[in-house]
Amino acid sequence: MLTRRRAFALRRLALATLVLAIAGCTPQSVTEEGRAIHNLYNLFLYIAAVIFVVVSGLVIWSVIRYRRRGDELPKQTHGNNKLELTWTLIPTVIVLFLFVVTIQAQDKVLDSSARPGVNVTVTAFQWSWRFTYEGTGAEVLGSPEHIPEMVVPVGQTVRVKLVSADVVHGFYVPQTLFKRQAIPGTDNQFDLTFEKAGLYHGQCTQFCGLQHPDMLFRVRAVSQGEYQSWLADATRRGSAGQPGT
Amino acid sequence: MATTELPLPALPEAHHEEPSGIVDFLTTVDHKKIGLLYIFTAFAIFLAGGLLALVVRMELAEPGLQVMGENTYNQVFTMHGTLMIFLFAAQVTTGLANYLVPLQIGAADVAFPRANAMSYWLYLFGALIVLSSFFVSGGPAAVAWTAYAPLSTNEFFQGTGMDLWIIGLAVVGVAGILGAVNLVTTIFRMRMPGMTMFRMPLFTWGVLVNQLLILFAFPALTVVFALLFLERNFGAKFFDPAAGGTPILFQHIFWFFGHPEVYIIILPIFGIINEVIPVFSRKPLFGYRAMVFAFFGIAALSFGVWAHHMFTTGLVYLPYFSIMSLLIAVPTGIKVFNWIGTMWRGAITLSTAMLMSLGFILVFLVGGITGVFLASPPIDFAVNDTYYVVAHFHYIMVGGLLYGMFAGFYFWFPKFTGRRLSERLGRWHFVTFLVGFNLTFFFQFLVGLDGMPRRIADYEIERWTSANQLSTAGAFLTAVSVLIFIWNFVISMRRGEPAGDDPWEGNSLEWVTTSPPPHHNFHHLPEVHSERPAFDYRHSSAFAAQTDPERNPDRGRGR
Repeated sequence: MLTRRRAFALRRLALATLVLAIAGCTPQSVTEEGRAIHNLYNLFLYIAAVIFVVVSGLVIWSVIRYRRRGDELPKQTHGNNKLELTWTLIPTVIVLFLFVVTIQAQDKVLDSSARPGVNVTVTAFQWSWRFTYEGTGAEVLGSPEHIPEMVVPVGQTVRVKLVSADVVHGFYVPQTLFKRQAIPGTDNQFDLTFEKAGLYHGQCTQFCGLQHPDMLFRVRAVSQGEYQSWLADATRRGSAGQPGT
Repeated sequence: MATTELPLPALPEAHHEEPSGIVDFLTTVDHKKIGLLYIFTAFAIFLAGGLLALVVRMELAEPGLQVMGENTYNQVFTMHGTLMIFLFAAQVTTGLANYLVPLQIGAADVAFPRANAMSYWLYLFGALIVLSSFFVSGGPAAVAWTAYAPLSTNEFFQGTGMDLWIIGLAVVGVAGILGAVNLVTTIFRMRMPGMTMFRMPLFTWGVLVNQLLILFAFPALTVVFALLFLERNFGAKFFDPAAGGTPILFQHIFWFFGHPEVYIIILPIFGIINEVIPVFSRKPLFGYRAMVFAFFGIAALSFGVWAHHMFTTGLVYLPYFSIMSLLIAVPTGIKVFNWIGTMWRGAITLSTAMLMSLGFILVFLVGGITGVFLASPPIDFAVNDTYYVVAHFHYIMVGGLLYGMFAGFYFWFPKFTGRRLSERLGRWHFVTFLVGFNLTFFFQFLVGLDGMPRRIADYEIERWTSANQLSTAGAFLTAVSVLIFIWNFVISMRRGEPAGDDPWEGNSLEWVTTSPPPHHNFHHLPEVHSERPAFDYRHSSAFAAQTDPERNPDRGRGR
């Protein structure tokens, strides 16, 4: 009984591993900014895969091919300037190329919109989040027991102003492929433009003390209409501190 | 013949009676014994840090809190990182350097033998101060090994444990600086006649550059600890924005030390690989000078890349730190290609030391390539502070450092003891380590890409469980491989096959003296005409005369 159950568990584990390995490229991004990161990551991955296969292939091949077969000393070569210059220049060119595509992607990711649709001040504190919707009076306050939810409209640029009330935290929604530290005394700003409606997991990524793993939040991306009615509702409740879901 | 022999280097004061046992090790100023003390102490700390890692892996095998509470978990992973990075990684290579550098350059000892002993004892007592924090009320620090302010300040983390952590590590830092002065002076001033800089073995080169990095990087660490200590205990406000301070200052100074620290750890390991691969390929190292320049290239760049740990702060100039970090791939790539060039058309013997070196190249390749990903700020935005980064630096640290360290142990154990480690157990050690290590850390890349943050005792996303279970299984297999190594060490100390002076047909000078070497290192020294004096010597007529026992009755044999 136990062994069968264990065998089943093992099979399930193996299957899950396989699925995980196949999906091992980046998760798809749900924001406009994240798409640029996703594409950049894949480009890096292709180049890296080729480099890994070539280099490890050369290592393995030379070990198999050039095993010691007797006492005769092999030819004592000390180097080859042309060859060494080649394998200095090729990586340099690859690296410069990666730098150029990095800068291009970075501009897309960090480009700040002239007219953001929504302005949210995100305050990180030990150990939860407060989302303040600027100019509306709406506010969502969380706690480790009540995971707060940040509601945003799909298709509009959300300008996040990130601040910290105590120590350094990290604002991270995995499916945006983006994170930023919340640093006391510093206002950090970035834009997120959600392209897909959905409920997304978010979490503090900068270790911030005892209950760091409990510092969770959600982002709910909804249609413009739903957002407006949520906002009206939240504004009415005001900063009375209605905890999120 | 005797005419090719050089006069022996100046000896330290004569030791007529050699003390033995514990008293000897407590009072010794012999670089070899101090080197072994470093290695044993660091290895003991490695075992303690490894146990803490197993505890971490047990907790993470499933979502929820099973083994311990959050505070204990935070203490455990903080001390795991502290022990491994500060008290093990840089010190085990310093131990090897202490033992081997004087031998490799034909010196009788280091430049300042007493200061050398002082370095070791400072290191030991600093480590004990850090470890003593386990026994104070409140327990050890729980602020991660990076101890970012303001979390580590008195306002957010009270307790003596944190202060002991700072004091202990500051003492270890001073020990490191003192040791660096000693080794750098030794390499510049104590080389035997004929041992020019460009004839030095590449392990010695690696140590030279590594110790120079320590000289420049450790003072920054001392500074940041001093600031933090003042802030915690005397009301200084360096990191408090309300009083005109700034928390980001801590990150800048810490990583100005912290990134060079990575190369402080890995450069001597490159040196070990540079010694092992040529010997077991029976060829000189391909591109010796390029290798030396690559050492310096990495060292120079390493001081210009610290803020790639801070891309997500939004407070650093991204393009500069990105291009500097990306460029490190070039000298690192040169090294890997030179190792392949060395093996190419060689005569390769797959001893355990060589297997470990090959393992090093492959895992280091993965660690290095993923490092290129992290040098790109947009990709770093996605994976910073996730298990992707954890996997990446464990591929460098566990993969790189441990494979290299074990390669060095298998390679030089015969020199240290006169006996060989068992090759059969060595193979078991290698295979279990290869499988266990990759099982532990490869899946962390995937779960990191999926968004699992580091430094959490608990996770709510169920699909992260399978990767974590594989990782935990891998960690225990890795522990088994370390036990195999310890078993190998224990039985080989007592019953290992006698190695003789030069079991591998080595290239550098330590292989022309006895195993273990005499107190003053050499009874005789060959002339140095190239970077492989032991190789030249073995193929000279003087060697034939030396190995004839009737003509040299006083030549010591390995015990």
